[in-house]
Amino acid sequence: MRKPKPMPLESVFPKLVAGDTPVAAEPLMDNEAFAGFHERSARALWSYLARTSGDPALADDLMQESYVRLLCAAHPPDGEVAGRRYLFRIATNLLRDHWRRPQPSSIDELPEELFIATAGTAQADSQAVLGPALILMRPRDRQLLWLAYAEGYSHREIAEITGLASASIRLLLFRARRKIAALLRDQDSETRRKP
Amino acid sequence: MNPGACSREKELTQLLARGQWPEATPLDLRNHVSACRRCGDLVLVTETFRRARIEAIGSARPGSPGALWWRAQLRRRTAAVERVGKPILGAQIFALSINLILMVGLVASQARHGLGWLTRMEALLPAAGMHLERLWPAALLNPGWGILVIVPAIATLALLGGAVVYFSSER
Repeated sequence: MRKPKPMPLESVFPKLVAGDTPVAAEPLMDNEAFAGFHERSARALWSYLARTSGDPALADDLMQESYVRLLCAAHPPDGEVAGRRYLFRIATNLLRDHWRRPQPSSIDELPEELFIATAGTAQADSQAVLGPALILMRPRDRQLLWLAYAEGYSHREIAEITGLASASIRLLLFRARRKIAALLRDQDSETRRKP
Repeated sequence: MNPGACSREKELTQLLARGQWPEATPLDLRNHVSACRRCGDLVLVTETFRRARIEAIGSARPGSPGALWWRAQLRRRTAAVERVGKPILGAQIFALSINLILMVGLVASQARHGLGWLTRMEALLPAAGMHLERLWPAALLNPGWGILVIVPAIATLALLGGAVVYFSSER
């Protein structure tokens, strides 16, 4: 039987023994690895947050907080795909927390983008098409729709990200899809009626 | 539950995921989509969201990863320091509580018996040529008056102890 190696004290209290400030467990990834992961995931995460919240400034804040929380996670996931899913999960929870907080009652406090999107300007881009329809959807449905149809996540992955039961995702998505499709068709027919 | 399921939805979903709609889609499926409301919704919603994603990604502002990494490091360090500080604070509170209990006990004991122990010491010390009665006023030996001196003295000690605990726990 092999004799167990004595554990050095530095491995138990690394920074205390070194006389430095004590820190938590090792970070999820080093600076360079994080920069790569950020480069590959930030735009998709920002798009998700901006389009489901309708507020780019809020998306900026929540995106930064999501990454910081991912790096501070006590049990970070292994691998790029799992890390990305975990990141979306953090962002989803942050967004949900934001929606649960009291909303601004003054019209001055609402983000300008909401009015741009609903103003019905002649923009032919997808923001003008999807924005007004998304605003009429419930926040949870917006998240489900974006994760399923923009990000292409499976029902199981969406359940993991949103914390909803996997079995209910199919039905919730079906209802949300039917509703937004009707809104998009209505919007399209209204646009065609306009001279 | 699969409300109004369409048998061709799965096939259509796979084609959409692979980006093969509509160019690489069989004619019969395209005809089916134009007739089936459920599949029509799927195509409409998927295409709209995909376009929206592409545009949103183009206008995304990812920010600096370096700043985020250092912010996370700072937060982790703060959390670690707080974790280490918690037991120290607990020990300080425990020590303070014990001191307070002892002080209260001492005050109670002195209030009941006065400074009788000084009388006993006085009886022992004359042999050594010491006269303690010269060091303190006679009122101290009276149980009624002794408390008037002891309580402020202990209160001063308690205040000093509190100040020491406060300054030592300040970060």
